Amino acid sequence: MSFSAIRMLSAIVGMVAASLLLPLAAAIRYGEHRAAMAFAIPMCASWLVTALLWRRRGGEARPLDVARAFRIVGGAWVAMSLFGALPLYFSGVFPSFTDAVFESVSGFSTTGASVLDDVESIPRSVNLWRCLTHWLGGMGVIMLVVALVPLLGSGGFKLMKAETTGPEKSKVTARVAATAKALWLIYAGFTLVETLLLRAAGMGWFDAVCHSFSTLGTGGFSTRNASVGGFGNVCVEIVVTVFMVVASVNFALYFRLVSGRVRDILRDSELRSFIVILLVTVGLVTIFNVADGATPASSLRVSAFQVASILSTTGFGTSDYTLWRPVAQLLVFALFLIGGCSGSTGGGIKVIRWTVLSKQLNREFRRLLHPREVSTLRINGQPGREEFVPIVASFIFAYLLLVFATAFFGALAGLDLVGAFTGAFSMVGNIGPAFGALGPSANYGFLPAPLKWWYCFAMLAGRLEIYTMLFLVGALAKRARFVVQYRRRGRWTAAARRTRQ
Amino acid sequence: MEFSKRKVIIVGAGFTGIQLARTLISDGVDVTLIDSDEERVRLSRNLLDCEVVEAEGTSPEVLKDAGVASASALVALTDVDEVNMVVCSIVGAAHPDVLTVARVRTDFYYSKAADGTTGLRIPGIDLALNPDVASAEAISSAIAHGAVGNIIELGGGFGIVSVQVGEGSVLDGLHLRDLPSLPGWRSLVAYVESASGASLPSGDTSMAAGDRVGILCPVADIADVFRLAAASDSSPLRRIVVLGAGTVGSMVADRQRPSRRTSFIASFLGKGSDDGREVVLVDSDEGLCREAAERFDDVRVLCGDMTDADFILEERLAECDLLVAASGNLDRNLMISAYMKSRGVRKAIALTESSDFDDVARKLGVDVAVPMRDSVVDAIVSHLRGRNVKAVHTVCNRNFEIVECDVASGSRVAGKALREISRPGEYLLLLIRRPGGDTFELPHGDTVVEEGSRVALVVRAGDRRVVGLFGGKA
Repeated sequence: MSFSAIRMLSAIVGMVAASLLLPLAAAIRYGEHRAAMAFAIPMCASWLVTALLWRRRGGEARPLDVARAFRIVGGAWVAMSLFGALPLYFSGVFPSFTDAVFESVSGFSTTGASVLDDVESIPRSVNLWRCLTHWLGGMGVIMLVVALVPLLGSGGFKLMKAETTGPEKSKVTARVAATAKALWLIYAGFTLVETLLLRAAGMGWFDAVCHSFSTLGTGGFSTRNASVGGFGNVCVEIVVTVFMVVASVNFALYFRLVSGRVRDILRDSELRSFIVILLVTVGLVTIFNVADGATPASSLRVSAFQVASILSTTGFGTSDYTLWRPVAQLLVFALFLIGGCSGSTGGGIKVIRWTVLSKQLNREFRRLLHPREVSTLRINGQPGREEFVPIVASFIFAYLLLVFATAFFGALAGLDLVGAFTGAFSMVGNIGPAFGALGPSANYGFLPAPLKWWYCFAMLAGRLEIYTMLFLVGALAKRARFVVQYRRRGRWTAAARRTRQ
Repeated sequence: MEFSKRKVIIVGAGFTGIQLARTLISDGVDVTLIDSDEERVRLSRNLLDCEVVEAEGTSPEVLKDAGVASASALVALTDVDEVNMVVCSIVGAAHPDVLTVARVRTDFYYSKAADGTTGLRIPGIDLALNPDVASAEAISSAIAHGAVGNIIELGGGFGIVSVQVGEGSVLDGLHLRDLPSLPGWRSLVAYVESASGASLPSGDTSMAAGDRVGILCPVADIADVFRLAAASDSSPLRRIVVLGAGTVGSMVADRQRPSRRTSFIASFLGKGSDDGREVVLVDSDEGLCREAAERFDDVRVLCGDMTDADFILEERLAECDLLVAASGNLDRNLMISAYMKSRGVRKAIALTESSDFDDVARKLGVDVAVPMRDSVVDAIVSHLRGRNVKAVHTVCNRNFEIVECDVASGSRVAGKALREISRPGEYLLLLIRRPGGDTFELPHGDTVVEEGSRVALVVRAGDRRVVGLFGGKA
């Protein structure tokens, strides 16, 4: 990594460090001294390093080529995950550094899979940090840096592209910094509204803030062992359900809503599909649960929450869906494959990709019946989007490859078929709970350390849509090979020099 | 006559330029033709009795030498829209009293004004003509009335439809004077074209099977009139195949595609309902097909050759209700229409070069032949004929013209009853609108022609005298 790249990483980690002020304040307020130190020390250390690196002149930012943009974004996410693990580890809540890293990655990638058995007994400031990582990771730390600091310059768009999700990345405004600012403002605005609503629904301020962070980032960490179900409050569940759906819609659409371009929203193909999928699944699951003896109202309450939670890849729970009848479980599993919308904070394969493929299937039917027909693929009412088909197909192939690799390692570590397979989808899709041994009532603490590290990779790869992490790993492997060769050649030239003498 | 002393400069000696020149020359106008293409100039010199200049029409020097200062009009008909506009602008700026006419086919040059009219708003251009739009509108109007024959729409909801009298139909063997006895007959026969030649009818004229008659009737009655005359089926045209994804074809497809009802929910879910109509657009050019597919969501676009029997079978093109051959290859349109009719297509409309092909089209069994170029010539001629002439339509193989004009003050016919001024066989007064009135009506013997009335006349082509009688001196 070049000096300028390291400087850039230090700035991004410094931004994450700044966000530690919030849990630090909470630790001081609640008198959690050890936790306060655990937040203060990494924060100060990070700022010190950043300050030192930026003090030195020179190392002017090179123009950012595509490969470097991928590497910087991948490196930044690894760096911030490791950094985020430090306060968790120092707080003494986590038994090992591996567990702290898993929790941190699970936080930043908005997965919400925890190694903790009991989250109610740990310091409140640590819980706040766990939920805050969701919030930072949801909209993206790099986008936050682009919004607040002009240091990335024109390369900012390339970096943001590697961080935001979906096959098509566009700026909602002409300038990238303005785009990032607008999206983060909308995001923060929703968080504020949800916090106020949760407070009004009867939650304490602390829980309300934590759950808002967790919901808007579509993460899934909670301050209760029984997740949102632990509050037993209908109003809370309704608010969380609504905001889980809100967070899994493309935030660019809210920007259009604010700027009055309602037509664009109505013709958005992805939103249409998303709403249809949501309504149909909620309806079916509600019916199946009524058939199992629940009253329609309570069934709707539980089903809507759980479907929204899985479709948005949040992973909150009010009920254990692994106890539902198999067909309802199957519907929930189908949602594992779909995920949120592109440009949202949700994970998964994304609705738009399935929309593109289903439209392509329709074209294929037409092509078979009318071989000489000339047809086009319309997305958001725009024709000529056939170019998406190979892009989407390649992505889904890569995604499934990663899922299978992850399932393989899970099975290798001794998980049963259901646990390994659904766990893999859950990790890569940033969902959190899975089925079987990794169901909503279990946690990830019992897994062997090597599998936890692989899961960390899978979660980050899923959050950054596969390619970024693959390129980072590829670049690291190349670098490693280069270093080995360089050493060998160095030794050889030294030997040659000696013989010449 | 003053009109004959006029001088018109035409830039662009293409098909339309030559046709316009010929029409004007036969009117006695002094025509100068300018074109930069050697071949075209040589051809025009051989064909036309007028001055032909081989030079760039955009050059002010050339225009000056051609005598633009003394011309009454300049018509730009080159293949390039921009050249046409520039020529008109140059002339319009230097000589504001010269009428400048440009042929401009590109849509985006036209804009809508506050009063709802669409036009070209570029200083110096007095009149802009788009033959593609005119043709597409003519085709659409023919489809709207069941593709029964050419239809010329006049004011006040009246139109002239040209139909062939069918064997055994009510009109077969009927004398014109007996027509009003038919129940619900609200029409007038404008011209009759029989084996012995074309004529303006009088009460004694009789119609026989195979004759072609032009009937003036309310537009709403066209289907009924056609049923009386030809006794053919008039079931709705549901499946329409349009050949040619170029400008005219696309415009026709656009106007014919299924109308969608869009409610809020339906538009959100991407669902809509249609009226069971299906439009298929066919072209052999891949690029044009792609463009059309991107433009129309609800039109099936096929890339193939209409003369390929396998292709026709594959897509069941022969089973359609209507074929509209509107490709850029105007000669081929007729041939393909005839071919498809023979394969079982119910109705066929062909876009042809000019009304010279009307006869051939009829013989080939093509229901409607829409001439591409006539609209331009008609529009220009009507403008050049004088202030009171509002529109001229050439009909019936160029034998007759339908002229809409205002009755000039001091005209010899003003204030007289129709009975006194009628000259059977020379002209026929079709419609009259009183000055200040807003509805047209069919005239009768006692109708008095007042000054300032708008009249529609059918006259022999090139007959200046009758038009002068009504419209006065230009």
